[in-house]
This record gives sequence, structure tokens and C-alpha cells, in this order.
Amino acid sequence: MRTQDSIKIALSSVQHAKTRSFLTMLGIVIGISSVILLMSIGNSAQALIVNQVKGVGSNLIFVIPGGSKSGRFSAPASSQGVIIKTLVKDDISTLERNAAITGVEPEVRGQAKIVYGNNDTTVTFLGVRGNFFNIRSYNVDRGRPFTNSDVESYEHVVVLGSETAKTLFGNYDPVGKSVRLKDISFRVVGILEKKGVGAFGIDQDNLAVVPLTVGQKQLLGIDYYNAITVQASDAYTPEFVKARVTSIVRESHRITDPNKDDFTVRTQEDILSLLGNITSILTLFLTSIAFISLVVGGIGIMNIMLVAVIERTREIGLRKAVGATNSDILQQFLWESVILTFFGGLIGIFFGALFTVVLYFILVYFVQIDWVFALPMSAIWLSVGVSTFTGILFGIYPSREAAKKNPIEALRYE
Amino acid sequence: MIHLKNLEKKYVDDGETTNALRDVSFEIKKGEFVAIMGPSGSGKSTLLHILSFLDRPTNGEYVFNGKSISELTDKEMAHIRNKEMGFVFQSFNLLSRLSVFENVSMPLMYSLDITIAKRKHLVEKAVASVGLTEKLYAEAGKLSGGQKQRVAIARALVNDPDVIFADEPTGNLDSKSGAQVMEILHDLHEDGHTIILVTHETYTSEFANRLIHIKDGLVESDEPIKKTRKARSEFFK
Repeated sequence: MRTQDSIKIALSSVQHAKTRSFLTMLGIVIGISSVILLMSIGNSAQALIVNQVKGVGSNLIFVIPGGSKSGRFSAPASSQGVIIKTLVKDDISTLERNAAITGVEPEVRGQAKIVYGNNDTTVTFLGVRGNFFNIRSYNVDRGRPFTNSDVESYEHVVVLGSETAKTLFGNYDPVGKSVRLKDISFRVVGILEKKGVGAFGIDQDNLAVVPLTVGQKQLLGIDYYNAITVQASDAYTPEFVKARVTSIVRESHRITDPNKDDFTVRTQEDILSLLGNITSILTLFLTSIAFISLVVGGIGIMNIMLVAVIERTREIGLRKAVGATNSDILQQFLWESVILTFFGGLIGIFFGALFTVVLYFILVYFVQIDWVFALPMSAIWLSVGVSTFTGILFGIYPSREAAKKNPIEALRYE
Repeated sequence: MIHLKNLEKKYVDDGETTNALRDVSFEIKKGEFVAIMGPSGSGKSTLLHILSFLDRPTNGEYVFNGKSISELTDKEMAHIRNKEMGFVFQSFNLLSRLSVFENVSMPLMYSLDITIAKRKHLVEKAVASVGLTEKLYAEAGKLSGGQKQRVAIARALVNDPDVIFADEPTGNLDSKSGAQVMEILHDLHEDGHTIILVTHETYTSEFANRLIHIKDGLVESDEPIKKTRKARSEFFK
């Protein structure tokens, strides 16, 4: 039998039972549209994370207090809320002397209530030096950033995040006004550009940036740092500079056994791959759930195909009587099953893409996240392949049952 | 053309053996019109199934056009059914959702050597030969009983078979439609087709030129009929 005849017969059978065919396809439609939607969300989330991590600055290496013993992706103790005081001023001066390093910016951070008039809000405050704005791509939208001389002279100046400025001042211009942070008065000198939610979900717009000296000594009363950002020279690879930074800090801390490091060094690539791993696992997990619905859809197809084989027993008998071989009958029913899942897959791709577009508009225009639109071709090809494969997999049993029928018994079937 | 020797068919059901056919031997030559008659349960349908390659005998020899059934695979038997045999059933066995054209073209779909253009020509010719050209694209389910059986005959003819097997072809028809169907089978025989008819109606069997009586799985009688014209004139009264 010609393939085109098999397809024609299968299409006519599918068309004959329109409602049943549609209901049978529904499982596949739901499964495939979920796969498309979830794979698109996964891709968008990864693109978003890449943008955010890259948006922090370029060629950056982060030194965080506390060691991370097992593997490069385990979290250092400091990120779990333990206070570790190992990063100190000497580390800065030794790092600054190295030729592979073009910038070293220490930071301290804490949380406090910031007040202007009757308005107040809780912010993350950062104590940094003047170059921090440049290295970490914190651009000032209005006013100016503070300088190193402001830092050295303990100036009570503050640069506010866009969201903080909006909360405290509404539509008024905050530059030149005074705000109170931990009961210390600060003059607002600048407002940061809107930056959105950063890597690890840190809100980069609800922020108050103050001179390092003021933050460290007056707001926090400490003599250590919470993190050091190192900018690597373009002439060296980040991995090389990471190794160099590690050995410098280790030497400065007089550590001989690498297992006893009291600090952790990470490049942007490390962070990207860590976050990439997390989103990949999450995407895989969610997509697996979507695949379960595909399996359920496939079983639905198998069930309906079995019913169709019983209903069309006489037709099978007749076709065999006029010369159809077992493989002709197998082919006919298999095509029917594949056509159901293939068209179910196409409809699923359409709805998956539609939901992806709708989600994009909701997130960008209503939730106002810098969501990245992604509809990976791989998801589409995978869906076409998986739906066709589902048709073959779940069609093979009913088709074999059809092919096996004895023509005489089939012709006698009432 | 057909050569049977000591043919046997046994069925085993719940440990009980039924001898549906016992020691059946005869020959059918090309161009014969043979009626097989017998009471219900006599084994005539079993015989037709074996003759038409839908079933295999338990013992004995069956040679069709020089090919012995015992040496053929299921696929080869399907191929012979497709190329050399035509079928007309009591209950028409048309696919009611399909058109007359699609029903009649069904056997040709399983012949890869017939092009799609030739297929159309053959279907039109077969449908014209049963006088249903104007119904070529009508839905088979909407035809009358007589028309349905004529479509079934066109389907049996379309591949120009050597032999047409008709299993009670008038059993579900009124006498007028039955007469038309028998007239067509008679004309096909006149044109040189071999026809093997299973029936329990004496007047239908008298269209044939040879009558084989089966009883309890045995050939009870096998003799020529020489009163076809008389039978026909009585049939049409």
C-alpha cells in the first residue's frame, strides 16, 4: 500500500470522528503546550540571569568572607548569615599592588530604616568607595556619585536607589535634601538609574549608598568588609586572576592549607554557571512534569485507538479480504495515531507560543520585570518529535491488535 | 483452476473437535458458474473461506491457479486475494462513510503496480458495468440495498479477478434487487468470469451451471444444471 493512501485513509477516519479526534488530541495539546511554555520560561529566566550578572560589571571577581569547603558551588558561611570578620584593610592594599588587577572595591552592607519627613522605608545600605559606581555599573541618573575624597573626609552624603527615592520623595527631586539613616543625617547627592532585581534576587533599586568610612565606622561600627569586588585586567583571563586573588588573600591571611581558606573567590562565570545550573534543574524538573501529561495524553490516544480498532473490526476484515496484508493494516492505524498526536502537537505548539507571548506581556507591562522573550526552536522541534514519537509509541499496540485480527472472525463481527 | 483433494477442516472448541469439512475433493475449471448449497452448518461457508484463501484447511490439498495453499505465506495469500479473487458478501460490507468511488477502489489501493490515474479509470469502468455511474461520488451509506450490492460487485470486479466468490449475495435484498444482482453475476459469467456462489435459495442456485451440495461437511452431490433459462424466467416472475 502506498504511504499516501495510508495517510489518506487515516485522515478520513480522523475527520469522520471530529469531536472524538479533538478530545483525544486534547491530552497531547495540553502536554505539548506545557512543554513549550515551561521550556520558554526556563530559557527566558536564564537569559534574564545572564543579563543581570553581566549588568553587574565586566571582568569582576568577588571575594566573600568565609570558606566554602565542598566544591565550588557550595555557599560560604557568610551568605548563610554567619558574621565572619576575615576580610580586612590589608587585603585591599595587597590586592591593589598586583598588576593583573585594575580595581579593588571593598563594601560593607546592612539594613536600616531611612526617613524623610513623614516617609520612611527599610533599605539595604552599602558603604563603598567612589570607584564602586564605575566598576559595578551603578549609573547615577540625577545628581552625582560621591568621590574618594568624600569617603576619606567622612562626608555624610548618600546616593539613593530609584525606588527608595520614589518612596521617600514621590515626584519631588531629592537631590540636595536631607534624609536620616540610623539617626544620622545624610545629604542626597544623587539618584541611581533603575536597575531591577539583581542576581540572587537582590533588589538593586531599594538602596542607599554611603561612603565606605561612614558606613563601616559610623553606621555599623566594624573594621572588616562584607565583600571585595576585584576588577581583572583585560590582559588576563578571569580564571587566572581568580587564582592570583586566591593566592594573594591566602598569603595575606597566612593560610597554608587551601582547605582552611577563610574566604571564597568567585568569578562572574562561576555565578552564571551556578545560577544556570539552578534554572536548568528547575526547567528540567518542570518540563518532566509536563512530559507526564504527555504520557497521560498518549495513554488516552492508545485507549481511543483500541476502541476504534474494535469498532472497525469489520472494516479490518474487509480490507484483509480484498488483499490488505497485516503490515498494511498496521500502517493504517499507526498513521491514524501519529496524525492525532502530530496535529495535537502542532496545536500544542501554537498554544504554548501564545501563552509564552501572553506571559511576556504580563511580566513586562504589568509586573514590570525586564523579562526576556524566548521561544527556543529546540522546544518546537522537540515537541514535534515527541508528539510524533508518542503517536508511534502509543499507537503501536492498538495497530498490532488490528493487524493480528483474523479476517473471517473480523468479517463476522457484529 | 481450482483443485481440491481430500480437504479437511477441523475446529477445536473447549476441547471438542468439530469436523466442518470431511474429505472434500473436486475441481472447478475456468469459466464455470458453481453454486454451493447446503443447510445451515453444513460447512459451505467454511468451504468458501478456504477456497477464497481467507482460511487454511487442516488437512488435504488445495491448488489455486497452480499454487498450493500449503506452500503460501499469509502475505502471498493476501496478494492472491487482491489480484486474482473478488468478493461479494451477503451484508455488502461497504464502508458507509466513504463514497462509492472510494469503496470500489479499495482493492486497487493494495496493488502497488496500478497507478493512481489507472485506478480512477478502472473504478469508473467497474461502476459503469453495474450501472451506477451517476452515484460514483455518492456516500455509500445513503444507497439502497440493491445499489449497495451492485457497488460491492463493482468492487469485486475492479481488479479483473479470475474468480468471484459470492456469499449469499441476495440474502439481504428484496426480490427485485436480488434479480438485478443475479442478472449482473449472470452477465459476468457470460463474459467469461468464474463465479462461485454460496446460497441456500434454490432459485438463485439455478443461475449456476453446476451445483455442489454439501451436508455435514461432505460433498453430497456435484452435478451440472441445464435449466438456467427456465430458472431465470421463473425468478423474474
